Amino acid sequence: MTRRILDFVILLLYVWGCMILGLWAIDSFIVPMSIPGVNRFVLNVVQVVISASMVLLWLLMWRWLAKSMFWRAIRNHQNK
Amino acid sequence: MIFATGFIVSIVFLPVIMRRMRGLGIVGHDIHKKDKPLVPEMGGIALLIGLSASSLVGIILFPTKSDLLVSFWGTVAIAGIIGAIDDYKPLNAKVKPFLTLFACIPILLMRTYTPSIVFPIIGGTRLTRVYPLLIPVVMAVTSNAVNMMDPFNGVMAGSSTVITATLMLAAIALRRGDAIILCAMLLGSLLAFYYFNRYPSRVFSGDVGSLSVGTALGAIAIMGRLEVVAVVAFMPQIMNAFYGLSSVGRLYERREVARPVEVLEDGRLMARDDPGAPLTLARFVLARGPLREDEAARVFIILSVISGLLAIVTAYLITVAP
Repeated sequence: MTRRILDFVILLLYVWGCMILGLWAIDSFIVPMSIPGVNRFVLNVVQVVISASMVLLWLLMWRWLAKSMFWRAIRNHQNK
Repeated sequence: MIFATGFIVSIVFLPVIMRRMRGLGIVGHDIHKKDKPLVPEMGGIALLIGLSASSLVGIILFPTKSDLLVSFWGTVAIAGIIGAIDDYKPLNAKVKPFLTLFACIPILLMRTYTPSIVFPIIGGTRLTRVYPLLIPVVMAVTSNAVNMMDPFNGVMAGSSTVITATLMLAAIALRRGDAIILCAMLLGSLLAFYYFNRYPSRVFSGDVGSLSVGTALGAIAIMGRLEVVAVVAFMPQIMNAFYGLSSVGRLYERREVARPVEVLEDGRLMARDDPGAPLTLARFVLARGPLREDEAARVFIILSVISGLLAIVTAYLITVAP
C-alpha cells in the first residue's frame, strides 16, 4: 500500500512544486518583462504566449509522468 | 450549532430517503461486489435537506451574513436539481458540465465574491473583470470533478469530508470567517452521509449528491477566498479528471467507455490493462496489484489527507506572502 501512496505523492509534489515555481516565475520574470521598441499590446501577447506555453509543457510532462508510472506498475505486476 | 444541525437533520432524513428510494425502485447495482447487491440511489437528497436546515440556522444566527448564506444555498440547490435530473434521465457528457456552469448565478447576482486571488509567495492579485468569468468555470470543474471521483464505497463522501475539513483549517489559519461558517454547514451533512455511504454502502449519493457537494466546495473556495488552497486540496479529484479526460481525449460518461477496474473471482479489484479504458485514479491506485474494495477506498482517503496537508502548507505560504 505504501508504494501506491508513494506513486501519488511523487506526482502530487511534482504538480504542486511546478505550480508554485511557475507562479513565481510568471510574477518575477514574465509580468515585469519589457522589450524596447515593442508596443504594449504585442508585449502582452508575448507574455500570454510564454505563460501558456509553460502551462502546456507542465500539463504534457504531468500526463507523460502519470502514463509511464501507470504502465510500468502494470508491467511489473504482470511480470511477478 | 450549524454543524450539529446539518449532521442531525441529514442523519434523520437518510433512512427515510433510503426507504423511499427503495420503494420507488430507484436503486443501483454495487458493481464492485461479487453478488452486485441493489443499493438505494439519490441519498444526496438528505444531504441537501441537511444543508438547507443548517443554512436556515446560519441565517438566524448570523443575520448580517444572510446574502452569503442564501447565495451559497441557492448555488448548491441549482446543482442539486441538475443532479436530480441526471439521476432521473441521464444527461449527455457535454450537457451536464454545461448546465453546471449556471449553478453560480446566485453568487454572481448577489455579488458574494471578492474579485481577487491571494497566491502563495506572490501575494494578492486583483482580477476585477476576469474573476466573475472564472466563477462558472470553477463551479463546472469542481462539481464534475467530484462527480467523476466516486469509484468505490465512501470515496466521494470521505474525500469530500477531508477537503471540507482542510478548507476549514485553512480558513481558521487565514482568518476567513465566512469560509468557516460555510465549511461547518457542509461538514455536518457530509459526515452524516459518510456514515451511511462508507464501505459497505447502504446508500449511494447519486448525481444529486455528488454535484451538490462539488458545487458547495467550489462555492466555499470562491466565497471564502480560499481558491489556491482549494486547488491543492482538490488534487486527487483534479488528477482523476485530468488522467481520465487526457487518456480518452474527450468528455465522457462512465457508461460510454471501457471499465477501468474489474472484479476478480476472490472479490478483489484489479486495474484492467485495456489501453482503451480511461486512466482514472482508481486504475492508477490498483496498477500495483489487486486490493479489496475497503482497502482501495482507504487509499483514496489517505491520498485526500496527504493533499489536505499540502493545502495547509499552501495556506501557510499565503500567510507569509507580501
